[in-house]
Formats: sequence, structure tokens, C-alpha cells
Amino acid sequence: MNDTLIIMGMLFAPLIAGFLAWAFDFKVIRELIGIVGSILPLGILAWYYPTVIAPTFKGITASINAGGFNLIFQLSRLSWYFAVIASLVGVAMAFGMASTSKNAYEWLFALMSYTGVLGVFLSGDFVSFFLFWELMTFASFMMVLKRNKHESLKYFVLSVIGAYAMLIAIGIIYAKTGALDFATVSNALSMDAMLGGISKGLTALIFLLFLTAFGVKAGAVPLHVWAPGAYSEVDQSYTAFFSGALSKAGAYGFLLLYILMGYKLYTALGIWHNHMVFAYIMAWIGAITVVVAGFLAVLQEDIRKLFAYSSVSQVGYILLGFGIGSTLGFAGALFHVLSHAIFKGLFWLVIAALILRTGKTRFEDFGGLAEKMPITFAMSLIAVLSLTGIPPMAGFASKWLLYEAAIQAHMPLIAGAIFLGSGLAFAYVVRFLYAVWFGQRPSDLENVKEAPLPLIIGMAILAIPNLVFGIAPGLVTKYLNRILGNSVGGDYFKLITPTGTYNALLVTVVLILGLAIAGLIFLYGAKVRKVPVTDTYQSGNPVTEDYNLSIRRNFYRPLAEALDFWLKYSWDRFYERLGGIAEDFADWLREGFYNGNVQSYAWYLAIILLILALWGVL
Amino acid sequence: MFDWKLALETIGMIIYATFMGFIFMGIERKAMARIQRRVGPPIYQPLIDTLKLLGKKESISHGFIYDFGPVFALGASIAALLFIPIANFQLFSSNADLIVVAYLLEVPMLGIMLGAMSSGNPYSAVGVQRGLLTMVAMQLPYGLALIALIQYWGTFKLSNIVALQQIHGWSITVPALFLAFIVFDIVFQAMLGLEPFDIITAPAEISMGPMVEYGGKHAALLFTQHAVQLFAETAFFAVLFLGGASNLLELLIKQIAVLFIAIFVASIYPRFTIDQAAKFFWKWPTILGIIAVILTMGW
Repeated sequence: MNDTLIIMGMLFAPLIAGFLAWAFDFKVIRELIGIVGSILPLGILAWYYPTVIAPTFKGITASINAGGFNLIFQLSRLSWYFAVIASLVGVAMAFGMASTSKNAYEWLFALMSYTGVLGVFLSGDFVSFFLFWELMTFASFMMVLKRNKHESLKYFVLSVIGAYAMLIAIGIIYAKTGALDFATVSNALSMDAMLGGISKGLTALIFLLFLTAFGVKAGAVPLHVWAPGAYSEVDQSYTAFFSGALSKAGAYGFLLLYILMGYKLYTALGIWHNHMVFAYIMAWIGAITVVVAGFLAVLQEDIRKLFAYSSVSQVGYILLGFGIGSTLGFAGALFHVLSHAIFKGLFWLVIAALILRTGKTRFEDFGGLAEKMPITFAMSLIAVLSLTGIPPMAGFASKWLLYEAAIQAHMPLIAGAIFLGSGLAFAYVVRFLYAVWFGQRPSDLENVKEAPLPLIIGMAILAIPNLVFGIAPGLVTKYLNRILGNSVGGDYFKLITPTGTYNALLVTVVLILGLAIAGLIFLYGAKVRKVPVTDTYQSGNPVTEDYNLSIRRNFYRPLAEALDFWLKYSWDRFYERLGGIAEDFADWLREGFYNGNVQSYAWYLAIILLILALWGVL
Repeated sequence: MFDWKLALETIGMIIYATFMGFIFMGIERKAMARIQRRVGPPIYQPLIDTLKLLGKKESISHGFIYDFGPVFALGASIAALLFIPIANFQLFSSNADLIVVAYLLEVPMLGIMLGAMSSGNPYSAVGVQRGLLTMVAMQLPYGLALIALIQYWGTFKLSNIVALQQIHGWSITVPALFLAFIVFDIVFQAMLGLEPFDIITAPAEISMGPMVEYGGKHAALLFTQHAVQLFAETAFFAVLFLGGASNLLELLIKQIAVLFIAIFVASIYPRFTIDQAAKFFWKWPTILGIIAVILTMGW
């Protein structure tokens, strides 16, 4: 069959499905169309799998002619990897939305952003890259706009800044190399690294512009301010995709930077203590993102905000991994792209279920739901184990690779940031577990039901990979080796790097052995009598039902006290002040110039004519 | 195919570690008592306490997670133990490295927290909060100490670290790693839950924190978990900084030495509050840790 046609079909299937779902806005049909449209890309990518892993595979190129531009799409091993992750999360999102979203508008734009993300990963030139990047931004912006105008504006302004930065950078590259397709640009820039046609300053400028563009989408500190609001203020099933796949477009951009101009950046910006300067900057941006967003996540009082900051923090790991610059670092970061997509997608679907069933978002309103929603609780436990990096889970395998890479590359402080970040991750997910699932149940949550079936299917789609890729991390690293060369050794169950080793299957077996021993002691012990949560030790005070003893508000108050010096500074407030200053300045300009006085307008005209005359135009 | 030797070693090591862990707990209580000029209980007291708890006829439960928490904690402690090379027994240590073991040693905490949270007791909740904040606070200096060690020896594998120390001398004889050792020892105090970082259990404030609701066989499981964890952590310390050991007796001496440092520190200092602990950990230990990692970078 014609590859071009298939790739186009894959790319536009979600978009078409979105329009159809919007047009045929009937109860079951809308959801069915959406789910089919989201499964198609995953199916096609799976069908391509044997082709992609074949040793002779050189990439499939498809090009179409649109409006004078030749749009090139490329299915390489790397883009297949990203696309398959995006479509996996996309399918889970569609199942989730079948339960949570009854709105054709949301289906349309959710699926539109799905197409946008796939297009970004598959495009082979800057024109299609930029077009799909904007499609993705526009669709996700429309999703936020529906629920919250203020947050959508924040997202919009930062996205526009990112888009302009990217456009300028592309313009400079086009002016210097005369090409827009990635292959030619990459060749021209690595040639230029030898010749030095593009000056050092200009290279640094291009780097900075791309850093801004991709940093906004990835939510890197200090450009992360849109993320907590935007992630919170959409349908939570869509956030699974927003945070799980769409933020990866930013990470993919950073990788693209390496592919297109890595060598040029290396020669132009040089090295510092054996680290490539440009990569080192990326690594530090990642490390700062991990730590800052981690601390902020710990202190949140809203379930959605907590996981929004957590997403920002986890994407920081990916940037950090790319910044390490060794093949092991890339392997770790690319693995983390997958594991973050599956565990964070799972978290957002769990939150979608919670919000759907309880209608509440703040921690103080939850409690004791583990008995009411056991399946959702089990799913959230898988996500928690994976996010905190408990050994036989996907989250651990990727984090382990990042540790090894960072310490091997002699970036001790970056590795220290990973340590601190995972401690913080521990703290915020346990807070989530405690406040939502355990303790006394508020009386208005007595009639909460288990999550609906489509949502559970969506969760299962993301939960199973967490276990599979955790126990057999080699499945992923073997594929990554095809992209990166032999970065990680071992077999399906065992990862071997030059300095370390991790046998996931054996860890699982030994853990099960330990649990079996402990379980036997438990089973052969005394019999157990079940008592309610209100029947607890209270140093003699009687506990009554009408007084809720669970601590849900300001859970981490002592941390806030320890950090009070740092918490005085906030990027949010900084940007708001900046926005305020800009607004005042614009007001001053408007009032100063458009003062309604005809005479002053005449003066403006005269001055401009004078300037033009002096310039020699007239 | 089936490795009988390994299986026997594993079973033997679990029994030995559990027993010695209880003895360590006894030593801890006895030594503390002697420092405070009390007589103190006999050193086998924790063992018979645990047996008594196991012999109780009925224990209460707050639901499945409440039961699962202690089981998970003990299971994870046993798993962590089996990945540490203990004296001349390699066990499974060739299949996991320092990062894996460091993580496995933290997993039991999650089990205890899960169980404690599901009990619904506010003291437990406060204990959980304090436990996690201590962990956040100690994570950075702890990580830096480990990084310094890995950078200096150039390997993540615990068995290689032991072998290298046997050739080139113990880690603490290296000046940069001595700094890391100091940092690790401070963090170790918090890992064992001893003063000045016994913030988690704080018997006088929050009645043993996470453990408050547990009784009967649940408490017995938690005691056993503490014993295994104590043995594993002291062995981990000895492997990283004191050159490992070639037989169990040598290891035992090193473990008890480590334990006594911890006991002496614990019996002198009063308890930090949690924000004091966080500020402390982010100041001196972190600075020392950063110096250690920079010295070991080999520029």
C-alpha cells in the first residue's frame, strides 16, 4: 500500500473523527467515533512495528504539496517511539472522555490536539512542524478557554511568545541555510560547524529562541506558570493527554535541537569542564524544574494543582536527561518520556474519576474513598508506585537510567537534584493517598460509586504498561538501542550499563518472596477483628462521628515554614507584575497619544512627515 | 538448574539477620539505659516482646491496606537485605547496584506509611507527615554522599565497591570520602529514627506516630521489619564506608561499631522539630556533601 496515504490517514484520523463527533453530536455515536478515531493511529503504528524494527529500516518519508509548500512527514524510529506513546495516551484519553465529557466541542478540540501532537512528532520539515505545533497549541488553548478564561489567556500569551521565538529562529535558520527540511538543515548546520559561517552570537540566539519555544511547551521553570492553571482547567481525561503527551512535544523539541544543530552548538558554544555548554544549560534547566516544581507540588491544596506541578517536575527529569548528553542520558530520558506518559496519564484519569464521582477538587473535601472506589484506588496505587520509582515499576527503570547517566557524566549536583526530586515525589503522592483514600469519610461522600467502565478501561490501558515495562524494561531499552546504538546492555529483564546493573525480574521475584514470608507470618498469626476508623487510640478522648480527625488542610505546613524565605519569591507574581507594568505602560501610551485633541494629531502627522523627509523617502 | 546453595544461604541469612536485628535493638535499649544510669532490659527483650505480640489471640484491623502495610514493609526490607553483599555471602547483590538498594531500603517506609494512614488516627497522620518531611530533608545530603562514593570508586556495584576497598583501603581513609562519611552518618541517624531525628515516632509527643494503632501480630510484623531493616542498614553502611567484611564476625563488629556511634549521638542530643531538621539538613550536611562531590569529581 501507499505509505504516504497511510501516514496521512494516521495523522488526520483523529481530526476527522473529531469533526464527525462534533457534527453527529448524539449520545453514543459521538463517543464511538472518537474512540475509533483515536485507536486508528495506534493500530497503524503497531502495524508499522515490524517495518520499523527491521535492521534495514531507513525511515519512511511522505510528502504532500500544500499551498506552495512541500510538507514532509517522516516516520523514523524516533518519531515512531514518540508517536506510539502519544497515541497510547490518546486512546486512554478517548476512553476516559467517553465517561467524563458529554460535550462535542471538547471531543473536537481534544482530537484536534491529538492530530497536532502526532504531526509534530512526524513532521520532517519546519513548515509542517510549525503548522502542527500551532494546531496543537490552538486546540489545547480552546480546551482551556471553555472552562477558564484567565488561565487560557496565560497559556495563550506564553504560547504566543514561544511561537514567535520559534518562528524567528526558523527564519534565521532559513536565511542562513536556505532550507526548511530537517535533513538539509541538519547537514548544512553541521557543515557550518566546520566553516563557521554563522557567528557564535547568532547561534546562541537561535539556541535561546528554541529554548524558549520548547521550554514553554515542556513547562520548564521559569516558563512553567501556564501549566498548573491550564492542566487544572480542562476536562481531566483530556489532561491525561495534555500532560502525558502534549508536554512531550516540548521534550521532543529539545531532542530535535540535538539532531538539527547539536554539532553546531557544540562547536559554537564550546565545552566547560568536559560538559557541552549548551547541553549543560539544558541539564540545569531540567534540574531546577525538578526541584522547584517538586517543592511547589508538595505545598498544593488542590488535587489538580498538585499533579500539574508534579507533571512539570517530571518533565524536568526528561530535559535533565537530554542535557546529560551521553547516550545513556538519552536512553534514560526517552524511557522517562514513556514512563511519565503512562503513570501521569493514569493519575489524571484517576483524578477524572474522582472529580466525576464526587465533584470535589480540594483535598479537604475528600477522604476515606478507598472502600468506595476500590478499582480506582488500586490503579492510583500502581501510579503512585511507578511515580515514586518503587523498583519493579516502569518509573524506577527510567529513573535508574537517569541516575546512572548523571553520575557517570560527572554531574553530581544534577544527580543530587534527582535524589531531592524523588524525595519530594514521595512526599506529594503520599499526601494525595492520605487525603483522598484514607481516614474518616466526610458524610457527603457516603454514596460515591466506583468509576464508570470506559474510564476503568482507559486506566487499565495505562496501568498495564506500568507493570509490563517495569518488570521487562529491556523491551523499551532494546528499542531505544536501535535509535541510539548500544547504550544499555542486558536482556528483556536485566539492564546493564558500564558501571551498574538492575535485574528487574529478580527484584520482583525477591520482593514477592519477601512478601510471601511476611504474608505467611501474617496469615498464621492471630485472627483479625475489623474495627471502623473512628475506633482509634486517642489518649482517652472519645472519638465521635461528627468531628473529623483527618488532617487534610496544610498537611505540609512545617515544610512551608522551613521554606518561608524562598516562598516569598514567585514566578507567577513576577509575571503578573510584569503584565501589570506592561498594561500601565500601554495605558500611558494610549492616554498620552490618543488624547482626543485634533491639534496634537496634526502635530504627529507633521513630525512623521518631517522624519520621512529627512530620511529621504519623500 | 535450581541453585540449592543460594537458596540455603538466603534462608540462613534471613534468619540470621532477623535474629541479629533483634539483638541490635536490645543493645540499643541496653546501652541507652546504661548511659542514662538505668539498668535497662536484657538484650533479648525485643525478641521476647515480639514473640509475645505474635502470641496474642486477637488483633484489630482497619481494613485491607492496614493489614497490607506491615506485610509490604517487611517484604521490602527482606528484599533490600538480599541485595546487599553480606560478608562472604553475595546473595543476589551481583544483580542490583547501589541505587537499587538505596531505593529498596526506602520502600518499607512507604509500607508503614500506607498502613498508618489507613488507620485514620491523627497521631499516625502527623507521624506520616513528619516521616516524609524528614525524608525530603535528608534526601539531598544522602544523595550527595552516595554520589561522592560512586564517583570516587567509579562503580555502582556494591560488590565492586567492597572489592576496591579491600585493595585500596576503606572509603573513610580517603579525605573526600571521609566528608561523605560524616554526611552519611548524620543522615543515618535519621534513617534509623534516632535522636536528634526521632521526629517520626516522637514517643512523648505523638505516641509512636505511625505505629500508634498497631498491636498484636501487626506490631510483631513491624518489630520484625525494624530488626531486618536495622541489620540491612548497618550492613549497608559497613559495605559503603568500612570496607565490607570477609566473614560474618568482622561484619558484626563493624555493624556494632556503627550502631554505637548512632547510640552515643542519640543519647546526647534532644529532638529537632521538623522545620529545624529540614533547615539543618539543607545547611551543613549539604555543604559538606557538595564539597565531597566536588573533591571526587576528578577535574
